[in-house]
Amino acid sequence: MTLQGFGKPPGCKLIRFTAELNGNHIEGIQIRGDFFAVPEEAFEGLEAELRGTDLSQVAERFTELAEKFHIELQGITGTGLAELLMAAWMNSRSNHQPE
Amino acid sequence: MAYQCRLLHTGYHNAFYNMGLDQAILEAVAEGAAFPTLRFYGWQPSAISIGYFQGMTEEVDLAACRDHGVDTVRRITGGGAVFHQSEVTYSMVLPLDHPLADQNILASYGRLCQGIVAGLARLGVSAEFAPINDIVAGGKKISGNAQTRKLGCILQHGTILLDVDVDLMFSLLRVPSEKARGKAIADVKERVTSLSRLLLRPVTFDEVSAALEAGFAEALNLEYRPQEPAETECVRAEELARTRFADEGWTLKR
Repeated sequence: MTLQGFGKPPGCKLIRFTAELNGNHIEGIQIRGDFFAVPEEAFEGLEAELRGTDLSQVAERFTELAEKFHIELQGITGTGLAELLMAAWMNSRSNHQPE
Repeated sequence: MAYQCRLLHTGYHNAFYNMGLDQAILEAVAEGAAFPTLRFYGWQPSAISIGYFQGMTEEVDLAACRDHGVDTVRRITGGGAVFHQSEVTYSMVLPLDHPLADQNILASYGRLCQGIVAGLARLGVSAEFAPINDIVAGGKKISGNAQTRKLGCILQHGTILLDVDVDLMFSLLRVPSEKARGKAIADVKERVTSLSRLLLRPVTFDEVSAALEAGFAEALNLEYRPQEPAETECVRAEELARTRFADEGWTLKR
């Protein structure tokens, strides 16, 4: 399923995302917004390596990958991204509950 | 002892060349072919630049921009969408091992933005740096700045608003929720100001760029070498404008 969302979690600028999910796992994700990540090109590697991450592990994995790729972030955190993903996932589930 | 700095006043260019020249300068400084450089420039035609990570079609109404003759371009720096209409834009490029180049990005914004604060003071405007990357006067934003680090150099560019037409800007930008468009416009009118509003008179590009030039020299202890961009930089800027900044593969990459 495709999950989309946006928001400004605490301490973050506007973050938008489009994620492909397989069950609770990320198959692919693009993260957009007016945050900063330097070096910029490395952020694309971070997005690619979020593949396979369980939604419950996004905050930790994002932080770990930012360290791995030596990315300095302003306006985006793993916790903030995870919060948005979880909210969108919960919302999608409540919209698909059987009557 | 003052720091030697190349000073460029490159006038008005379109969005693609402007972004191409900033990158070409970055490459020239990285190669040691140019001194650290401070550049002042404007945009003709008006343009919207978006941050590296923004989605072009979800941030910008491309059809409205075409109708108004407004260029659209993706920057190599992060941050948000900027409507470049009535403003002075600057870029500064420094090697990372330069004494003015803080390794910490936030500290680096804070230091380089002091040039703008000092320049605004020369115009009679009391302003201060507002982390992460803004400058505010009277509690309202008057300058936004964005920084990247590539090829062993810092590139910081930013804008100082001479005037602002928020209604036109929002006719070109999309907002996250159309239902909240009115509130978004009201918020920006409340949060953003311009030099002409603060000084209660029209201000010109030349007046403000001269004040900023003096402000950067004072705050960062710069000794200028006024020059024109090298021919190689202009050629490279043209190439980058054509192959990167005006190319849909780049513009629409997110």
